[in-house]
Amino acid sequence: MSELAILTENLAKVYPGVRALDGLNLNVPRGVAYGFLGRNGAGKTSTIRILLGLARPTEGRGTVLGFPIGREQVAILERTAYVSESKNLYASLTARELVRFTRGFYPSWSDKAVAKYAHLFEIPMDRPFAKLSQGNRTKVYLLLALSQEADLLIFDEPAMGLDPVVLDEFLRILVQDVIAEGRTVFICSHQLSDVEQIADWIGLIDHGRLLLEARLDDIKGQFRLVTAAGNGLPQTESPEVLWLASEGNFHKYLVKNNADAFAAELGRQGATVAEISPLGLREIFLAMVRKEEACTSGNTGEMAAPV
Amino acid sequence: MLLHVNPASGVPTYLQIETQVKHYIAAGALAPGDALPSVRKLAVNLRISTNTVARAYQDLERDGILRTVQGGRTYVAENPVSFLKSERIRRLRPYARQIAVEGTQLRLSPREIMELVQQELNTLEEVNERTGDLDRKSR
Repeated sequence: MSELAILTENLAKVYPGVRALDGLNLNVPRGVAYGFLGRNGAGKTSTIRILLGLARPTEGRGTVLGFPIGREQVAILERTAYVSESKNLYASLTARELVRFTRGFYPSWSDKAVAKYAHLFEIPMDRPFAKLSQGNRTKVYLLLALSQEADLLIFDEPAMGLDPVVLDEFLRILVQDVIAEGRTVFICSHQLSDVEQIADWIGLIDHGRLLLEARLDDIKGQFRLVTAAGNGLPQTESPEVLWLASEGNFHKYLVKNNADAFAAELGRQGATVAEISPLGLREIFLAMVRKEEACTSGNTGEMAAPV
Repeated sequence: MLLHVNPASGVPTYLQIETQVKHYIAAGALAPGDALPSVRKLAVNLRISTNTVARAYQDLERDGILRTVQGGRTYVAENPVSFLKSERIRRLRPYARQIAVEGTQLRLSPREIMELVQQELNTLEEVNERTGDLDRKSR
């Protein structure tokens, strides 16, 4: 059995005029909560579609739960639950009917789970899907996905329309019933704070390529925003040091590791290092995918005023 | 045990847990032999991945602060492993440096900074004495 829940090698997907995926290498360990992040159009949904066999890769290959994609798709789909971004199911069917319709496809389906989650999420089981609110539609999707008791759960914007109480309940369920059971969660969301809460791995995709893949705690332990003042400081990007912005004599760098050594080097070049600060996921995301401009958020975004 | 994590801070979540457990032990709120919640229970309570909690517990165990017995329950170690003094100083130095830098940036004098540290030490000592008294009374 493969130790990776998802593995892709040089995955590429070319649509006419667009290279949606451009050599994507994913390594998603089993038993983790993996946050798959990227801007709109970065290639997240293309990736998921290929993993599920809904699209064929132009180049490259991969496995899901050890099964090669494209060749053993039934085995993959039987073991994978998927909540798509567009929450559309058969409009005239009620949640109860949707459960009956869906359960036959999945060998590991649990009716006990249906009862449990229907109760926890307070889902109106006998109202047609079309008449449900956005939040209740999302809940039906989550109910169907969680009741599969799948080895891998793929969520594309799973929190859409959920109120904070239900969202918190959903996170609790993910930890208690999925991650603690050694199953894998692969979650795409722009709600970075939710991802930051639960994910232990992060993959950051931009223009169809993976910019970053690591344990979130390692990223946070190593990434630093270094603010320095001085003339003629380096503005080049090295793989380890991403120059972000400068304003007058002030410069900001995103340093991927050894920030202290980098700051010391700046000091040797005559700079005054104003601050070495840790970054949250939001700042890291902005810094990595928006290279033209400095990250402008929160406490790390402000330029220190000259003293 | 009341732990709190702030995922949005830049500090790794497992380090936040480690720091708080150490703090509780230093303040006497957790005594040697006290049981900690299971990895699973703490993860569910905090809504964070079990892997994150497991990592914090492993680190604390490696440092001799916690111990896990057969069956998986985790306790505060009876005889915390004492590191060589040089190692203990090495571990504390980054915090001392941070206090020095932050304090200077806030234009506090060296004496004011030292006084603050002293106050914190005094507070810890008071808390320890109080919980010690309580322990003795309850026994």
